[in-house]
Amino acid sequence: MRIGLIGLGRMGQGMGARLLSGAHELLVYNRTAGKAKDLEKAGATVATTVAAACKEREIVISMVADDAALNDVTLGAGGIRASLPKDAIHVSMGTHSAGAIQALAAAHAEKGQAFVAAPVLGRPDAAAAGQLVIVAAGPPAALKECEPAFSVMGRKTVEAGAAPESALAIKLANNFVLGCAIQTMAEGFSLVRKYGVNPQVFYDVMTEGLFAAPAYKVYGKLMVDSSYDKPGFTTRLGLKDIKLALAAAELVNVPLPSGSVVRDRLVGAIAHGDGDKDWAVLGREQARACGLE
Amino acid sequence: MNIGFIGLGRMGRGMAHRLLEGGHDLVVHDVVRAAGDDFVKAGARFGDTVADLCAGREVVVTMLVEDATVIDVAIRAGGLCESLPKGAIHIAMGTYGVAAIRALAAAHAKAGQVLVAAPVLGRPDLAASGQLGIVAGGPADAVRRSEPLLQLMGRKIFPAGELPESATAIKLANNMVLGCAMVAMAESFSLVRKYDVAPQIFYEVITEGLFSAPAYKGYGKTMVEQTYDNVGSPITVGLKDANLIAAAADLARVPMPSLNIYRDRLLGAVAHGDGDRDQAVLAREQARAAGLE
Repeated sequence: MRIGLIGLGRMGQGMGARLLSGAHELLVYNRTAGKAKDLEKAGATVATTVAAACKEREIVISMVADDAALNDVTLGAGGIRASLPKDAIHVSMGTHSAGAIQALAAAHAEKGQAFVAAPVLGRPDAAAAGQLVIVAAGPPAALKECEPAFSVMGRKTVEAGAAPESALAIKLANNFVLGCAIQTMAEGFSLVRKYGVNPQVFYDVMTEGLFAAPAYKVYGKLMVDSSYDKPGFTTRLGLKDIKLALAAAELVNVPLPSGSVVRDRLVGAIAHGDGDKDWAVLGREQARACGLE
Repeated sequence: MNIGFIGLGRMGRGMAHRLLEGGHDLVVHDVVRAAGDDFVKAGARFGDTVADLCAGREVVVTMLVEDATVIDVAIRAGGLCESLPKGAIHIAMGTYGVAAIRALAAAHAKAGQVLVAAPVLGRPDLAASGQLGIVAGGPADAVRRSEPLLQLMGRKIFPAGELPESATAIKLANNMVLGCAMVAMAESFSLVRKYDVAPQIFYEVITEGLFSAPAYKGYGKTMVEQTYDNVGSPITVGLKDANLIAAAADLARVPMPSLNIYRDRLLGAVAHGDGDRDQAVLAREQARAAGLE
């Protein structure tokens, strides 16, 4: 397919490489041009504007950091909305607010353009290996057209429904469940520590039984080792995602009391100088809250 | 070994059968005499009273429902403390509060006996097949002497430390992590439902990724199918445990904000008449809070 890719961060670069390996014809754009070098070597054509990256494309994928960047590349002068060829699809694959996605869906619909939200689960290594899980929502015909692109970027595509914001609800809820699991483990560790238990023993009890899953094994280990300095995902990014979940919930009147607890602890961690640590540092923040550190 | 076993409920009977099958000399006791019939047929003796059961026993295992019961069995006239030989071990395998375990440990020490707290992880089917997880806390020598028995009842023994209450803290913290996982799932399901996502789809996303563990698969499935009348662990038992956890946290000065949310949702479920339903009914309680039911 003829594909445009806008946003070449660590995730976008991996996804771009996968699209090239799938024999798609790729135009790439990034605000900082230097990030396009590797993909250019691998066969992509570098566009110097968003409009140029949309030229004669069947699909234009955006993978940008936040709502502001997404709105800018989509709605700005010479943006995706103004430049998308007739019958082409804008596929937004970043993690955004449900509200922003709803607004963009409406903006594209006004011009008769198709819009798909397809946030991904997985880190940059999974993106580079084409092992992402893609949660996609949008008009069924558009989803079907995107499949050749999705199938080279991900190991699995989950279809969430016809409304693009449904995909964001799933993605944000998944991150929210992770945030809650981290906070809950933090509370568990501080309780057992006060009763003289070696944290490793509690880790073993959890992860060999009911909680034998990556979320508990990975983040539980970081807490046992107090290893917060090599962040896979930082406290600040965790706060961003939890706030997105809370906002999505508020938009449809769903109270999320656990989300409020996680948000407050993340804010506390940042207040104590742990904003750029791995968000497993909630283990330490909870320990502080009970006088252990 | 000469063993006594008190408490032949759904868990206790499976565990006692394992001890009998291990070739030990077993005396059993339960307030319901008929509960001992099949043990007598299988070669055990029924002790008419606790005092009768204690005669000549090296170890007595209790598997009783709650703090008040186990304390009564231990300290009343003719109870364990009065009737067990000096040097004997009481292995308390129910889920009790920290204060109760401390009181039991002190009472046994005064009577020249030893308490080992060995709460279990697993349901009656695992008890019957000797596949429980067992967390054992107590003086090292007593735990070592108990081990041959624990190994008949469990597939894995986790050493918690020299203090019996350390084992209690681990068991309670594990239950807390489970309760909070259910609350987080419940909150997520109500969020995605409001975005028109089929709960089954969200279930698949979480359980094939970060949360591919029994806690999420089991309770998540019950939430998707709303089969709350098929009761594994009812809301009222969850509430009993949540209160034990809160008391342990109180004693050790550990704020546990996620636990408080879990406890409040359990109370709400009881208030709405769901007290005897499976704990997964927390999803319905959360849906109520979000105006979905």
